[in-house]
Parts: sequence; C-alpha cells; structure tokens
Amino acid sequence: MKTQVVLPNAHIGFGPLRRMLRQRWFLALRAFTLFAAFWWVFFVWNDNPLQLPSPVRVVAALGSLIATGELFEHALISTTRLLTALGIAIALAVPLGFWMGLSRTAEAFIDPLIELLRPISGIAWLPLALFIFGVGNTLPVFIMVYVGFFPILMNTMAGVRQIDPKLIAAAATMGVGRRALLLHVLVPAALPTVMVGIRLAFAASWAAIVAAELIGAPSGLGFAIEWYRQLLMTPKVYAFILIIGVVGYLCDLGLRALQHVMTPWSEGTGLQ
Amino acid sequence: MTDPTAQPKLRLHNVTKTFTAPRTGQQTLAVADINLDIQAGEFICIVGPSGCGKSTVLNMIAGLDRPSSGSIEKDGTPITGPGADRGVMFQDYALMPWQTAQDNVGFGLRHGTPGQPFTPAEREARINHFVDLVGLKGAEKKYPHQLSGGMRQRVALARLLANGPDILLMDEPLGALDAQTRLILQIELLRIWGETAARTQRKTAIFITHDIDEAVFLADRVVVMSSHPGRVRAVLDIDLPRPRSESIRTHPRFGQLAEEIWELIRDEAYRAISGSTDTAPTPPETATRTATTS
Amino acid sequence: MNNGIDTSPRWSRAARGAALPLVLLVTWQVWALSLPTGSPAPAPLRVLKAAVELITTGGLLDALAQSLGRVLIGFAAALVLGIVLGVLMGSSRAVRDNLDPIVESFRPIAPMAILPIAILWFGTGTPSALAIVTYAAFFPVLVNTVHGVTRVDRKLVLAAQTMGVSRLSILIRVVLPGALPSIVLGSRLAMGVAWTAIIAAELAVGAKSGGGGSGGIGQMMFVFYAYSIDLNAIVVCMIMVGVVALLIDRLFRWLEPRLIPWKQ
Repeated sequence: MKTQVVLPNAHIGFGPLRRMLRQRWFLALRAFTLFAAFWWVFFVWNDNPLQLPSPVRVVAALGSLIATGELFEHALISTTRLLTALGIAIALAVPLGFWMGLSRTAEAFIDPLIELLRPISGIAWLPLALFIFGVGNTLPVFIMVYVGFFPILMNTMAGVRQIDPKLIAAAATMGVGRRALLLHVLVPAALPTVMVGIRLAFAASWAAIVAAELIGAPSGLGFAIEWYRQLLMTPKVYAFILIIGVVGYLCDLGLRALQHVMTPWSEGTGLQ
Repeated sequence: MTDPTAQPKLRLHNVTKTFTAPRTGQQTLAVADINLDIQAGEFICIVGPSGCGKSTVLNMIAGLDRPSSGSIEKDGTPITGPGADRGVMFQDYALMPWQTAQDNVGFGLRHGTPGQPFTPAEREARINHFVDLVGLKGAEKKYPHQLSGGMRQRVALARLLANGPDILLMDEPLGALDAQTRLILQIELLRIWGETAARTQRKTAIFITHDIDEAVFLADRVVVMSSHPGRVRAVLDIDLPRPRSESIRTHPRFGQLAEEIWELIRDEAYRAISGSTDTAPTPPETATRTATTS
Repeated sequence: MNNGIDTSPRWSRAARGAALPLVLLVTWQVWALSLPTGSPAPAPLRVLKAAVELITTGGLLDALAQSLGRVLIGFAAALVLGIVLGVLMGSSRAVRDNLDPIVESFRPIAPMAILPIAILWFGTGTPSALAIVTYAAFFPVLVNTVHGVTRVDRKLVLAAQTMGVSRLSILIRVVLPGALPSIVLGSRLAMGVAWTAIIAAELAVGAKSGGGGSGGIGQMMFVFYAYSIDLNAIVVCMIMVGVVALLIDRLFRWLEPRLIPWKQ
C-alpha cells in the first residue's frame, strides 16, 4: 500500500475536473463501483449463485420488489414499528431521566434496578416475550422499546446533571418560577444530550428489529430476508439486506436533521 | 460623598460565611464580619486578592447564598432569596446557550417576574431598546457561541438592565476580555449606569474586579478586601469628578488612589503568587506601580 | 444539578437501592402464588430452583462456555481485521476515500440481517455464529481504530521523522500507542455487541433450523421456549446473559488503565 501525505490545500489552483474528483459524491461513486467490481469477480470465482448472486441479479430483484410494492410494504411496516417503539421509549425514559437527574432520592431508589436490567440485552428477552406476546406486532415493538429505553434514560440523566448551575442561578436572579425554570432552562439545557441518546436508541433499536422480526413477526424487513432465504431466492435476500441498510441510513439522516432543527445551538456544545 | 441621614440602600451587618466540606465536614471561614452600608445610586467596586470571598459577598447580596451569621438588608428588609430586584451579571455571563442574543436579553422579561408589569408588546419594545442601548444591533439573532467575548458581555449587560433591577451586581464582568475591549466597555458601562444623569436617577451598582485601575476608574467608593478569611481591609472614597473620560487616568489623584489600594493588597498578592504564607520581600514598588497604571 | 457528593452512610444507600428490586421480587412472588397450580408463569423461588438444577445437572455452564468461546474467537478475528484495516484507513487517505462509503453503508445493517446469508454460506453450525459475531464486533473496532489513528498528533509523527525513525517503526511506536485508548474503547464496545450478537444468532439459528445442532446459551433458551415451555429456565438464562455482559464490561474497565497506564 502506498502511503501518501495529503496536504489540506487540495483545492487550490485545480481545474473543474480536479475539483470534481475531490467531491464526496464522486468518491462514493468510485468506491461503490470498485465494490461492485470486486463483488463480480468474487461471484465468478465462487460460481454458486445460491450463495452469492451477481450484482446485476440483485439489482434486478430490487427493481422487481419495488415494482410490486412488496419492498415498500415491508419497509413501511418496519419503520412504523420502529417509530412507535421510539415514541414509547422517549415517553417513558425522558420524564424518568429528568426525575432521576433532578432528585437524589429518585436516583438512589431507581438506579440499582436499572443497572440490574441494563446488562440483559433486548435479544435475551425474545423467548420470554414470544411466550407472552406471541408472533405479531407487539413483540418487535416491545423489544425495541426495551432496547431504546436505556440509552435515552442514561443520556437524559447525564444531560440534566451536566446543566451549568450558573444558568439556574441566573434564572433565579431574574425572578423565574419553577415551571418556567423547568420549561425554559432545564429542558433546553438537557435537550442536546437527550437528542444524542435518541440517536443511540435508534441505532440499537434498528439492530434489534431485524432479530425480532426474523424470529417473531409475520412481516417486516427482518421477516422478509429470512422468508426468501427459506425459498432460496438469494437475490431477494440480498436486496432486502441492502434496503435494511438504506432505511437505517435514511432514518439516521432524518434524526440528524431533527437534531439540527431542535437544537440549532448545539454546534456550540460539540454534540453534533 | 454619602448622606449619613438617609437609610442605606444595602446594609451588611457582621456578615460571616463558613463553608462545610461535604465529606470531611471541615469548616472553612470564607468571609468574616463584613460591615458595609451602601447608598442608593452609589457605584461600589470591591477589589482584593483571589480567594478573599468577593464573589461570596456578591452571591449573598444576590440571595444565592445565605450568610452563616449576620444580616444583609435591602431598604431595611432582610434578603431571604434571589429576586429580580437585584440583577446579577456573572463572571462568565451565564447566557442561555440555546437562546439568541435577543432572546437572552428578554429572558427575564418573558419568563420571570420583571415582565409582569408590561404587555407583550411593551416587553418586545423594551428588549429592542436594550439591544440597541448596548450596541447589539445586527447580532441579535446570533447564538452566544457565535459571539465574541465582548459581544457576549454586552448581551449579559443588556439582560441585566432589561430586567430593571434597582441594584446591579457584577462579578468581574470584564475579566475575560482583552485590554482594549475592556477600556471601551468601562466607559460604556458608566454611560449606561447613568453617570451623566442626576444622582437620584442612577442605579446602585456593586462591581467586583481584581483590576485596581478599573476599580478607581469606575467607582464612587472602593472596598478593599483581604483574604483568609475575607475581611474588609479599607473603604476608600474615590473623589474624582464625574463624568469620567479616558483622560482621568492621567490625573495625579488617580495614580495616588491606585497606589494607595495597591499598598493595601500588595503583600497578599505577593503571597498568593509565591504560594507561601511568609511576608513577601519588599518589591521595587514604584516600578511595578507605574507599569500597571500607565 | 445534584452532582454533589452523597454524604449518607453506605448502608443507607444500599438499603435504598435494594428497596425497589426487593419490592418487585416480592410482588412477583405473591402474584405467582395466586395463580392456579400448573401455570407456566415464572416465580422468583422457582427461578432459583431452576437455576440450581441447570447449573448442577442441566449443562448451563457448558452452554455458557460454548457461547463465550464463540464470542472470543469471533472477537479475536474482528480485532485483527478491524485494527489492520483501521490503521490502513486511518493512515492513508487513498484507502480511506475508497473504503469509507462502503463501511458507512454496511454499518446500519444489523448483524442479524447477515444471518440468512451466513446460513446459506456456512449452514446452521458454529461457523455461522462465528461469522455473525465477527461481523458485529468488526465495526466498533474499525471505526474507533480509524478515529484513533487520525487523531494521533501529527507533530509526534513529524518529531519521530526528524529523529530518523523508519516508517514501520513510527507505525508501531507512535501511531499505534497514540490510537490505543480509542482502540481499547472500540474493543469494549465490540465485546458488548458481540455478546448480544451471539445470543441472537444462537436463538435464531435454533428457531430457524428446528432446534438442531448449534448449541450455546441462546439455543438453550430457544429449546426452553419451544419444546419444554420452561419459563423459569428461560429467566435463569436471561439472568446469566446479563451477568456475563456485566462481567465482560467489568473486565474491560479493569483492563483499560493497565493497557494504557499513561492515560491519567
């Protein structure tokens, strides 16, 4: 491998072509083309389309899944479950996190229970949850709420504790009441950290949903990949895996945008 | 300078504050037996070496801290907690990072007691007035992290004034600024405080600083404190004419007063630097003095 | 906020901490007792009994050892791959430009999504489980290695160059130690993810291959769910999963200051 030292002045005095070659989209395009080429070579060498279909077949499968609307349907089901679960996790974890962050007593009583539960991964709840909820919508949502709850709670608590006491003192010297203090000082001060917790919760939930749907749901992206594996329709398996990546990426992009809209000042806090 | 017959705006009587270390339970005496009367409309500067409890005194007047013994009275009534009648300008400004400059100026008016006498429209007009007064026009939509130190300081000053307190408490508000900005803002601070107005129109101001020249330039009286524990060492009348301008710094009386204050705190300042408790060696004082006054 | 130091004595803090879990346990036990006999609902005392049985005769420890063995092998593979690739990506702009978009596209693909492919490639045995663990652990190691390598102070590299140190030597003596704190952090995260992934893999392989052959604690849980419907045993397994996760985390926290003693 050739190690080259790149100076940070790569854009100085270059023509439009050179500039294009340094653009992000071009670099990504080149990277994906290279990746597809390697894939193709490996496909020819492996010579077993059941294990590894050619990239062309996968793209064709993707096209047909889009055309029939099947892809959209499964993606919508998974995304709906994800958003429902995130919503429930936020509704539970944010108020509890505030309470535990503000009250020593609340923290002393509740924190040990949280610390006892936290190491048990959401996945380990699957068999018990399968027994309780059966196969259906509730199971993946339950697992995702459980998985998303802890990062949001931890970040909310940390966010509340990190509030600069001077800001609270400043509010007190301006005759700000308890309600206004909560609404206009404590909540916005903790919000950037809470948003980071929500993004972490999303990442964890998105990883858990595939497992939950694969084992315990009759629909959704996780179900679809396993379904087509059993039918030995490998190109569709790959197409769905691709979509899991794309939807995950888009959701994170959406959350980043939300973070930017809700906490535009957080660039100054180094949290974005 | 002061009228002895009038009731003081603020009266500190035998104020003592001890802090208890949370784990060891060890007690530290921060300030001891502070007695001080402050008249309405006075500009008081408190100077002293670091660790002399200047900020503790200010926090107790603000109501953020309670004296361990002694009393603090405002207009004859004891202070029991923080209130918008005593505005504080914090050392690092304590601006809300999620609010724009303008929203920060309006924080107390919109969410606290100072806004109660006004209609929403009047509040906004008042906010605009103070944004203008401190020269924030054009930067009012920016967040604190996008502003320079001098601009943040202006936001904090506008916020302080917009709440309409009758006592201004300022904890080294110019401490973090570069020397030039500092000189400019000192003059502006006097203008906004009401130096050119009649005595009765002025706010009562208590200003903490470690800069002797700044204290002499701004104050009607300078309170010199000593440390371990914090005590009032002396109170000096600054008998320089108002309104004051840059040229007052070359006034012989200015140098004399600064010299006098320096004499009072020199030993402790030296001790603080060397970190020992011995008396400092006698320094070449005149040379040091001219270096800091000029 | 309340970040002051808790001054209350140790026993009082412990009592407050134990109160809520104890209340919940007692409520759970009372609730279970009120159920008709023969109900499969788990209860604390029955879970305790099941735990003793599983540990003494039920092969729980064997299953745990098998899962842990897989995690360690998969983790080791991910560590080697992640560090090598991470150092390459971190030190060479050309490699980074070409691999970064690929890595970023794979990152949101959950380890479990790889399972169907792993089954197609390696069947339902240990190799499939290893592939998933390696995949899961690879990304945290890689991402943190790249981060650590790119954050190494350029001045240190330049300083070494002015002293005539060879390129390989700089890599080993300057870049790697500089990136080590980040790599150790990545390893800790990777180990946590790997442990979750092995449970998921064993569970799913068990579920999808009709209970055949994969073994491990995840498989054991699935058997208790699907065949013997022994919820007490499932709860025992869940607790063990949590205990192991906690021990792994503690181990890394113990190791961290010993691996990087210069980091205060």
